[in-house]
Amino acid sequence: MSWISVEKAKKLEERFGYPKVSESKGVVSVEVPKDKFIEFLKFLKEDKEYDFRMFLDLTIIDHGEKEDPRFQGVVILFSPSYQQRIIVKTWALDETLPTLTGLWKGAKWAEREAWDMFGIKFEGHENLVRMLLWETYPYHPLRKDFPLEGIKDTYLPSLNETLRGDSLEGMFNYDRMHTALPTMEDLEITQKRRMPVKTSQIVLNWGPLHPGTHGTIWFLFDLDGEYVKQCDIIIGQLHRGVEKLGENVNWQQFIPYTDRMDYIAAINENHAYVLAAEKLLGIDIPEKAKWIRTMMAELSRINSHLLWLGTYALDLGALTMFLYTFREREKIMDIIEGITGARFTINYFRIGGVFADLPYGALDAIEHLIKDLPERINDYETLLTRNRIWLSRNKDVCIITEEDVYDYGLTGAVARGSGVPYDVRKIDKYDAYGEVEFDIPVGEKGDSYDRYLVRMEEMRQSIRIVEQCVAKLRKMSKNDPYFFQTPDEKKLKVTIDGRGMKLPAGEVYASSDNPRGELGFYIYNKKDGLKAHRMRIRSGAFYNLQVFTKAIIGRPIADAITLLSTIDPVVGETDR
Amino acid sequence: MGVKKVGAKPQTLVEKIFFLDFIKGLKTTIKHLWKKVITVDFPYEVVVPPPRFRGIHGLRTVDGTEGPEFDGWVKRLKIKPPEPGETRCIACKFCQAACPVPELFDIQSEKLDVPEDHPHYGLKVMTVFNMDLSKCTFCGLCTQACPTDCIIMTDIYDLSAYTRRNWVLDKDMLTQIANDFVARRGKEKFDEKSQWREDQKLWPEYDKTREKLWDFNMPRLGPNYQDQTA
Ligand code: SF4
Ligand code: SF4
Repeated sequence: MSWISVEKAKKLEERFGYPKVSESKGVVSVEVPKDKFIEFLKFLKEDKEYDFRMFLDLTIIDHGEKEDPRFQGVVILFSPSYQQRIIVKTWALDETLPTLTGLWKGAKWAEREAWDMFGIKFEGHENLVRMLLWETYPYHPLRKDFPLEGIKDTYLPSLNETLRGDSLEGMFNYDRMHTALPTMEDLEITQKRRMPVKTSQIVLNWGPLHPGTHGTIWFLFDLDGEYVKQCDIIIGQLHRGVEKLGENVNWQQFIPYTDRMDYIAAINENHAYVLAAEKLLGIDIPEKAKWIRTMMAELSRINSHLLWLGTYALDLGALTMFLYTFREREKIMDIIEGITGARFTINYFRIGGVFADLPYGALDAIEHLIKDLPERINDYETLLTRNRIWLSRNKDVCIITEEDVYDYGLTGAVARGSGVPYDVRKIDKYDAYGEVEFDIPVGEKGDSYDRYLVRMEEMRQSIRIVEQCVAKLRKMSKNDPYFFQTPDEKKLKVTIDGRGMKLPAGEVYASSDNPRGELGFYIYNKKDGLKAHRMRIRSGAFYNLQVFTKAIIGRPIADAITLLSTIDPVVGETDR
Repeated sequence: MGVKKVGAKPQTLVEKIFFLDFIKGLKTTIKHLWKKVITVDFPYEVVVPPPRFRGIHGLRTVDGTEGPEFDGWVKRLKIKPPEPGETRCIACKFCQAACPVPELFDIQSEKLDVPEDHPHYGLKVMTVFNMDLSKCTFCGLCTQACPTDCIIMTDIYDLSAYTRRNWVLDKDMLTQIANDFVARRGKEKFDEKSQWREDQKLWPEYDKTREKLWDFNMPRLGPNYQDQTA
């Protein structure tokens, strides 16, 4: 459906001879030799019959120390004209790969991340520095020979309990030895290496702990007067190694960790992961679970957009907006808390459905909420949309073009604001999205104002979807299953608590449309197993943030706030 | 495929001259001027968490509401049959196996030191049950794995402490927490076989503070599905 067909891929085999096509669970991947890699990708990008113009993701698989060749590069591309994806793979012989930045500028950060995590060098990359860790860090942590708990080589007693003497051990105290931490000098070296050539007198540091950055992002602006000439972003202060964890915990047990990526919209993070895992399992979940999941995902989207609107307006000086949106947000949180048991780190979805049915009264509360919401959104709009200060701070500010969308792999409201109707909900039609009606809002120009309008409209569309979900769920029975029931426990075991659950060998990529762009999970499983061999998380926020460094060039420094707010990254997801 | 175009419309001259944008915005502000305060004055006022709330853990004791498989599990794991009031935990470590952070548990059991002719000879009891809640993600997977419905999550959420030591709860503390919770709100959450009640409410309707955060306009809770009764 949303993948290139095997026949079409086979044509590539005929044409070039060297590609090897393979298919797993509907996901089609093509393997090419390293020396033909760039040539092949260039063809895929430029040929009208294929038109894989949009860059989605680049990552590495480490097949283990004993394997030779050991590392494999994986590139995921999307074709906007055919609405198809493809995976292209090649072996990273001698631990190097040619750079893709000549074809897609968006590969820049992905390659830096691959170097950081796997130690793969990209030949021809303009400045191959680390992405998430600091420059002097000696290891590449996603390699299979790096232990999960890290290498504890730094003596750090200061965290320890001193109240009862330094005598407590084990569970009651911290280890005296800690994994490496960056010192001030390390950070200085990192900062210098990120921006090797200064063009002007002053480099302004914004963050890492500034309220306007909504988290720990560290911006470097090379300024000429008030105008930005060069910009780079240092992220990673919130890096917790979620991908590594994903390769070291069991399948259901990974869901709580996904909560902690985009903590504003945890439900959507769970969603993307369970979709990928279900695809690998090859199961179809019960109807009721599909509709509940769709409904919850849309509530979470509204929730997330309300937070975005409040903080965005707050950053631009419209303080009261924050209070209004948080009022509505509180109601949504209250409903989510009642249904799932938690407000923030929700962990409600499971591979195979959801862990519990809706509690008594849930649909009434949701109905009550969405009856009221459109009026509230109109209130917000009367405060902002036509306001002249708002207009002058947003209109024509930091334009992101359609070209950029494909080059940088932008997704979500950022892509739609630039006029690209890219929406995974429509492309993949996962869960009940194929059966609900909604429109994709798109902007005209790609300025901050368009991104604002797109998100406002998205909230209205989400309300439409929730309405349809409630109506559908009302017609169901309380006895309908909300969790997958296996036909044969011996062959296929799917449990709510995840004990003893094995997923088959294979390779899948599945994604969901999050409030912050396309969140995709690429799972590569060598053999049936309790854990994944490779768990790659394609973070929408990460790729969207990357375009910041381009869109801010030539703009005054005050626009940085507007741009960052309209890109709306969450650090938990960019850093993972 | 439904695509909806949104885009900027320039301000009209009338809007500009008469400051219509500001006046309209002020209307919204004035509308809110006479509304009642909706913030909850924590800690003097608290919203009662819903029955499903995932707070601090507890270990339930035997009180006659165990599931039908309880005795079978006790036998299978060679645990001394617990008297009413004793813990339900059979030290099976399923909770630990289902936990995303297994190292936060420390569960141990010991053989009873009794002579050979004692009926409890060769049977075990759970002796250590420590949980380091500073590592807990409050995901609830442990409660879903427990075969005896022993480990539960309560509605207590304030776990701040001055030292790390205080985050580690032992079996006595956990048992006390569960006993207190079951006495207070057990009926709301569990049925007579310790399962989640089917008519578990979205939130407790007796809680009057919640009205505040709903703008004094609370929804009335009713059945979800067409064949559900009130
Ligand atoms: S709630 Fe989750 S993290 Fe906490 S103890 Fe239970 S399973 Fe472990
Ligand atoms: S799963 Fe339940 S019975 Fe088993 S060790 Fe944990 S708390 Fe005890």
